[in-house]
Amino acid sequence: MVQVINLTKRYGQHIAVDNVSFTVDKGEILGFLGPNGAGKTTTMNIITGYLSATEGSVKVDGFDILEEPEEVKKRIGYMPEFPPLYMDMTVQEYLNFVSDIKKIDRKTRARNLDRIMDMIKIGDVRKRLIKNLSKGYKQRVGLAQALIGAPQVLILDEPTVGLDPKQIIEIRNLIKELGKEHTIILSSHILPEVSAVCERVLIINKGKIVASDTPENLSRRLGDTGRLSIRVAGPEKQVLKLIGGLAGVKSVESTGAREPGTVDILVEAEKDIDVRRPVFYALSRAEYPILHMKPIDLTLEEIFLQVTTQEREVS
Amino acid sequence: MLAVLRRELRAYFLSPTGYIFMGFFLLLSGFFFTYSNLFQANPSYLGVLGSITFIFLIVVPILTMRLMSEESRQKTDQLLLTSPLSVTGIVLGKYFAAVGVFLITLLITCLYPIILSFFGTIAVWEIIGGYIGFFLLGSAFISIGLFVSSLTDNQVIAAVVTFSALLFIWIMDWVLSGLPTDRVSGIVFACMLVAGVAALVYFSIRNIYVCAAVALVGLGIVAALYFTNEFFFDGLIVRSLEWFSLLKRYDNFSMGILSLSPIVYYISFSSIFVFLTVRMIEKRRWS
Repeated sequence: MVQVINLTKRYGQHIAVDNVSFTVDKGEILGFLGPNGAGKTTTMNIITGYLSATEGSVKVDGFDILEEPEEVKKRIGYMPEFPPLYMDMTVQEYLNFVSDIKKIDRKTRARNLDRIMDMIKIGDVRKRLIKNLSKGYKQRVGLAQALIGAPQVLILDEPTVGLDPKQIIEIRNLIKELGKEHTIILSSHILPEVSAVCERVLIINKGKIVASDTPENLSRRLGDTGRLSIRVAGPEKQVLKLIGGLAGVKSVESTGAREPGTVDILVEAEKDIDVRRPVFYALSRAEYPILHMKPIDLTLEEIFLQVTTQEREVS
Repeated sequence: MLAVLRRELRAYFLSPTGYIFMGFFLLLSGFFFTYSNLFQANPSYLGVLGSITFIFLIVVPILTMRLMSEESRQKTDQLLLTSPLSVTGIVLGKYFAAVGVFLITLLITCLYPIILSFFGTIAVWEIIGGYIGFFLLGSAFISIGLFVSSLTDNQVIAAVVTFSALLFIWIMDWVLSGLPTDRVSGIVFACMLVAGVAALVYFSIRNIYVCAAVALVGLGIVAALYFTNEFFFDGLIVRSLEWFSLLKRYDNFSMGILSLSPIVYYISFSSIFVFLTVRMIEKRRWS
């Protein structure tokens, strides 16, 4: 559906996107993961035709963005990082305007808009000025705008930024729902978000794709159950010694006491070994109760570190 | 294009911009009309139109400053440029919206000659001709404002630069009278033009050989002109800059003459600036 071939974007000496290639199949939800400034937004801006690539090409449904921009733009709904809203319009006026510029047939328009507003739950603010809406509603109007005209491809740039946790979950569910009818590319710098929604993840850093896989495989490759945070009621020295002596434990360190009489420790296991059970039995035998134990999710920085070092080892 | 046009027109009248433009324009034109027609019992309305052209200096920047700059500041240009509209359609929609507000204002001022007609006969066709010229002159000024607005995302800068550009055009005739008209200065000016074009070529494609080739061809043309028709360079500076003298071409309309050449001139002037605006926006995508 979307083909990106050897895409490069240079700003003078600075390379924002460096020889990026990938394809997105019809009906797929692709996650674009990377820190700020990795080139996610630039890539999306090029796919949607807002920017032009220095080199390389983008094809959507077989149409080239440079040769037949209008055909491509008809097939894409784009929600940029900052929703492109006209503050002096009401929600209804704004969506009508977007329908106008997307050349939607006037007869079916009202029905389509009602359906979209129902789905995104903005029907109750349709008469309000956009500038008076909360950030969450503005974000949703931005999403509604992208859905107008039932485009085959949806490109969403950090769709959950600035929303409260409840709204984030709503938007994620909505995206999953939309994924049944649309091909979706979405960007994020939050790993759990991408793994919750996407079928495939591209990790991009400094303009280059550093990994491309399903979220499950990425997690496995990166071994994100390898580290545990444990709070134990017991003396620090003995606990460290006890756990340090277990088979499969690579390292153990104390992160300080947050409750009186307890100690927080960080356990790192060898690759592919689950040390949770041995840790439990050892501590319970010594009668040091475990107050909590949880695996530590890798932060994005750590993933990059891991992915980039792994790539180096492979090559 | 129509969608953009409608939105812009609405935006003018939802914000103070449209009202300030119309209010200020009508206030000043009303003042001039009252003073020179009513108080002086003078039936010549064309004189009023001619003397209020200076209002453009103040009101055109108000009208055009936010046209393109606000879009890039609010990032709404992402919506327009990723929609199936052509850039030309977007720019034309915005241009015609500004021209439309100006036209509405102008239609209101038609009351003045109608008031005059109560007191005697007025030269209807001359006044219509004068209005056509006045409208085209204003549209040309608006096209400059539109272009300037596409250069920046700051409204204030757009307004100040537009004002300066219009002021320069305003004092052009006066500046021209002080410029040298001899042959040597004409040749120097032509060479500077060639250098300017070569520099422009260099900065857009960064290829020193193409740039040098352009410079050589340009100098060759200058030399060829010098040997075939050396009188060409007499007063070249003045003749070239006169092209920008929008006001000089309004003189005909002021005298009640409706001729084709200034009409064509104004329309092509506006088209060039609309075209430059389109190019400017396209260029931004590539930078």
